[in-house]
Amino acid sequence: MLKEADVIIIGAGHNGLALGCYLQRSGLEVVILERRHEEGGGLTTEELTLPGFLHNVHANYHTFVDLSPPVGDLDLRGHGVKYVRPEVQMASIYEDGSALVVYEDIDKTVESISQFSKKDAETFKKLFTEAHGYVNLLLSTLMFEPPMSVKDLTKALSVFGVNKRSEFLSVKLRRETINDFLNEHFESDKVKAHLAFHGAICGYSNDKVGLAIGFPLLVGKINNWHLSVGGSHRLAHGLWRDFAFHGGVLITDAEVQGIVVDNKKAVGVRLSDGNEIVARKLVASTVSVEQTFLEFLNENEKNEILGNEFVEKVKNVKHQEYSLFSVHLAMKELPNYVASSFNPDVNRAWVVNLGYGSLGDLNNDWRLIKEGRLPTPHPNAAVNSLYDPTDAPEGFYTGLLRQFAPYEVKTGNNSNGGSAEWNVESRHYGESCIRTWNKFAPNVEDSIIEFATYSPHDITEKLPNMVKGDWMMGEITLENMLDVRPTPELGQYRTPIESLYMAGSTQHPHGFITFAPAYNALSIIAEDIGIESWWREV
Amino acid sequence: MSKIYTDEWYESVKDAINKSASTLKEVPKGKWILVIEIVGDGVSPYVDEGSERHFLVSIEDGKCMWYEEIELGKSLDVKLNYRFRGNAEVFDSIAAGTLDPIDAALGGDIKVKGDMRFLLRQADQVQTLLLAYTKNVETEWPLGKPPYVRKADS
Repeated sequence: MLKEADVIIIGAGHNGLALGCYLQRSGLEVVILERRHEEGGGLTTEELTLPGFLHNVHANYHTFVDLSPPVGDLDLRGHGVKYVRPEVQMASIYEDGSALVVYEDIDKTVESISQFSKKDAETFKKLFTEAHGYVNLLLSTLMFEPPMSVKDLTKALSVFGVNKRSEFLSVKLRRETINDFLNEHFESDKVKAHLAFHGAICGYSNDKVGLAIGFPLLVGKINNWHLSVGGSHRLAHGLWRDFAFHGGVLITDAEVQGIVVDNKKAVGVRLSDGNEIVARKLVASTVSVEQTFLEFLNENEKNEILGNEFVEKVKNVKHQEYSLFSVHLAMKELPNYVASSFNPDVNRAWVVNLGYGSLGDLNNDWRLIKEGRLPTPHPNAAVNSLYDPTDAPEGFYTGLLRQFAPYEVKTGNNSNGGSAEWNVESRHYGESCIRTWNKFAPNVEDSIIEFATYSPHDITEKLPNMVKGDWMMGEITLENMLDVRPTPELGQYRTPIESLYMAGSTQHPHGFITFAPAYNALSIIAEDIGIESWWREV
Repeated sequence: MSKIYTDEWYESVKDAINKSASTLKEVPKGKWILVIEIVGDGVSPYVDEGSERHFLVSIEDGKCMWYEEIELGKSLDVKLNYRFRGNAEVFDSIAAGTLDPIDAALGGDIKVKGDMRFLLRQADQVQTLLLAYTKNVETEWPLGKPPYVRKADS
């Protein structure tokens, strides 16, 4: 067993692996510890239904692929990572058989929107053009840099007169919901519903005050969704190859029991098998704040170093109010939507929203979810095989239904509620989601060979760092954004314990496969321990 | 009045920036080297289509200390803090005061690389310096002034 290293990283998800790659390439000896039997974390692809059908258990949609520095810095394509950007990205199919389609080609998207409202089509084009223009500029400021405060940001927007320059960007958005933004600028319920749905799958629910501030950026990337060919796990494998190629050590089945602290400084990690590994320079955690500070530190360290106030903040870190319920399917036919008579391209759409036709539909589901109730399914359906035939045996297809759902569910009037109730409810709710899909594509039920459900409870059982089924690893709200995410003390990736860093999705900006938390933590670590940046060429 | 993209013109730009900097209550302390990359676009008559002109500029404590045109492809022995890159028509239009540089950056017409957080935190200063560049330099345009008439328009 390895006894010491310069750097110990807890967790071999995409952030842990990326941070490991950069630090190992910088000449440090890095060891990554992973509790599970393989690397990847949310980049998990498994044959959940039948052999040969590759199902992305967690992350399926990858965004900012071409804008994320690690993709180029770490030569991930050279390590076998391939992406495809579906030509027909998304669609919303409505109860009346009409459909709005989002294409990679934004002019086609505008044309589709114009079938519902010419005014909205023009507004969307203006919004997209404006947002897309500043996506690159703001991305480097807001995502791939350690965060600045909302106050600094709004001051800058004000000085540069963004209010006057932009029809859409405004300081007042910090006081508005996405609903407010959509109601101000758009007229068609269906168009609003699609844009709100797009925000929701990005983790931005349309009813939260303040989230309007990020919404134009979400629109700016509406045609920028990518699929990892061969399954999302291929990306994890590419990262591991880069890490190993440069001499890094990944240890799987290595459950961390505690962080070893000496004189208020992290000096190593203790594993559940009793082994200890010394960290000569630092420990970086990419798992949850609850695990890092409440489980990995002893009571004495919590009291004397962290202090009661900080411990309470960690205990009260908020998680997304909605989780995801999934149905993974092995299929022998592609779905043939009724709405294909309205627009044939819906049959080629990678991701399809089934039935959210107004902001009210979404608002109603958020209300039920907050009460722990299961909404009548409005799942979104993704058929990866449309754009990656390697994910199923020849002539067959993989399908994925995702439904917004509560972590703790109440299944009946006598139910006390709890996440374990999913074990009883999953199959039934999965069948209900399939029936909804079949309503919109009547060949679906007959095409299913096998299906497997995966509930919010399963998310946390498999990946305990996704506390309460929270795939974002922390609520997305204005109060948990930028330099105060997940707490003001941790907002710059440092912690109250010297040489202990946070580098996972608990940190700014949030979850999703952007690598931004690791990339930003890297900047801070480099500054603290004096690594010359080879990766940030101006 | 000096001709655009001549040493005399750059000296005027430098003077205008420094004059504005002297009016600022606070200037960021430190030294920054930036490169401006102007790409010939077949529209501007001042940079040949397909070619580029690159300029290094040194800013110290809010003042422009020096500038120089650099040879393309030559390795630099300075560490760059910022890179601004765009088509010649864009830079010409900014110099002529017909295009707002913030709009150009927000719209993606000028690509900016470097620590954007610093630029945003120094928004007041950045705004003042840009105004000096766009409004306070009298420029002579011997080959024509933006907006240019495009071939298809003529």
